[in-house]
Amino acid sequence: MSHALHRYGTQENLKNDYTMYARTSRWVNREGCGPKLRKILEIFLSENINNFGSSHAGKSYKAGLDPKEYAATLDKAYGVACCFSERDAIKRILKKLKEADTGISIVVSGLIDEIVAMGKEVGLKPHTAFLSLGIHGKKSLLPEDKVLEVTTMCGHGQVSTRLTQAVMDKVKSGKMTPGKGADLLAQPCPCGIFNTVRCTELLKDAGKKSR
Amino acid sequence: MKIDPEKCISCLECIDFCPMGCISEGDPTVQIDQEECVECGVCFRVGVCPTDAIYLPEESRQYPRVIRAQFSDPDVEHPGLKQGGRGTEEMKTNDVTGRYRRGEFGMALEFGRPGTGTRLGELEKVMTVLCSMGIPVEEANPVYNLLANPKTGEMKPEARKEKVLSAILEFKIKEDQLEHMVKTLIPVLDQLNTVVSWGLATRFAQDGTLPVRSRLKALGFSVRPNAKINMGLGRPMVEE
Repeated sequence: MSHALHRYGTQENLKNDYTMYARTSRWVNREGCGPKLRKILEIFLSENINNFGSSHAGKSYKAGLDPKEYAATLDKAYGVACCFSERDAIKRILKKLKEADTGISIVVSGLIDEIVAMGKEVGLKPHTAFLSLGIHGKKSLLPEDKVLEVTTMCGHGQVSTRLTQAVMDKVKSGKMTPGKGADLLAQPCPCGIFNTVRCTELLKDAGKKSR
Repeated sequence: MKIDPEKCISCLECIDFCPMGCISEGDPTVQIDQEECVECGVCFRVGVCPTDAIYLPEESRQYPRVIRAQFSDPDVEHPGLKQGGRGTEEMKTNDVTGRYRRGEFGMALEFGRPGTGTRLGELEKVMTVLCSMGIPVEEANPVYNLLANPKTGEMKPEARKEKVLSAILEFKIKEDQLEHMVKTLIPVLDQLNTVVSWGLATRFAQDGTLPVRSRLKALGFSVRPNAKINMGLGRPMVEE
């Protein structure tokens, strides 16, 4: 639940960070959902996808999940998760999903006003929103914001603070490129919603700020 | 998780991957602090160990310790629920389930997120307050199975000290309960020994707006500009 909610960041560095999740309901439309999920995966893959996966597959695209192998597992899945870094890709996918009319629920995470606007542009009326009301409790336990911007891209908390800090240090010292760092940080997140394009930009930015 | 000292070569490669920071260089080999390990399995799953020294010991599969993996490893199912993860379908399928209707808000308090982890006993501090307000805990959420008394929010004693990456307290309120509920819970959250990421599910108004945002602002919340949005493509759609 809520694994694509609570992505930490600024209006600016969240603007090209979108996740999409096709989710069946165990009470309504899960039985025999495999062909529909495969159709949805095909639509996701038709655009410039950054990452995809699911916990039932055990790994993400960035950790080596093969699209065909993944598609074959979808008879026993309850959803397909992925992420993108381009607004226009999301808009085109929503249009294709509307035309495909699979009846499977689709959830998009990203900047609220952008998603609502895209819905209007393709003739969709958003149904329900899940808002993030921030972090409460003992906030002294938290790492610095630039680390949270990276780690919260895995909603199951599988990307560690320590690994993020280690990668940031290597990028700063020139021992690792931001792209390689982002690929490494994506490895622990099995759901495929860790956006390596955004992470690369965050790592570049962290490097600049330290100089 | 544990590390086999016969196989470990102390290369230290696994240490940075632990979300709880509980793997450390020991004598004679690298060790995992069993009190702090949440059994998320990241150290094992990423395949970072060159000698396959990391393993899931039998005691980690035994109750109550097994609760840790059920809440921390997304690939482990909760008994009875037949699904992994920490929560329910919540608003992801609200267009076909009608779980959250107009006039209602869904609430999700995720303890231990982001990245700190939590002892399950921290949830009890909030559940007992909610129950005293007559707000029931969501029965389909795996947290419900940890309750000794669902009417009071009291947790099973053996679950309290178990540590997990995160656990979600889900419940639903009527729209007019929002202000009272927030003002009651904030002081309780401030006393916790963990962090809580707070989510609120709401239907869009007929005109496509989210009126709750101004109410939340008045309550002092900094509502994040990003959210999850159910696009209304599920069928058959529940209308009301």
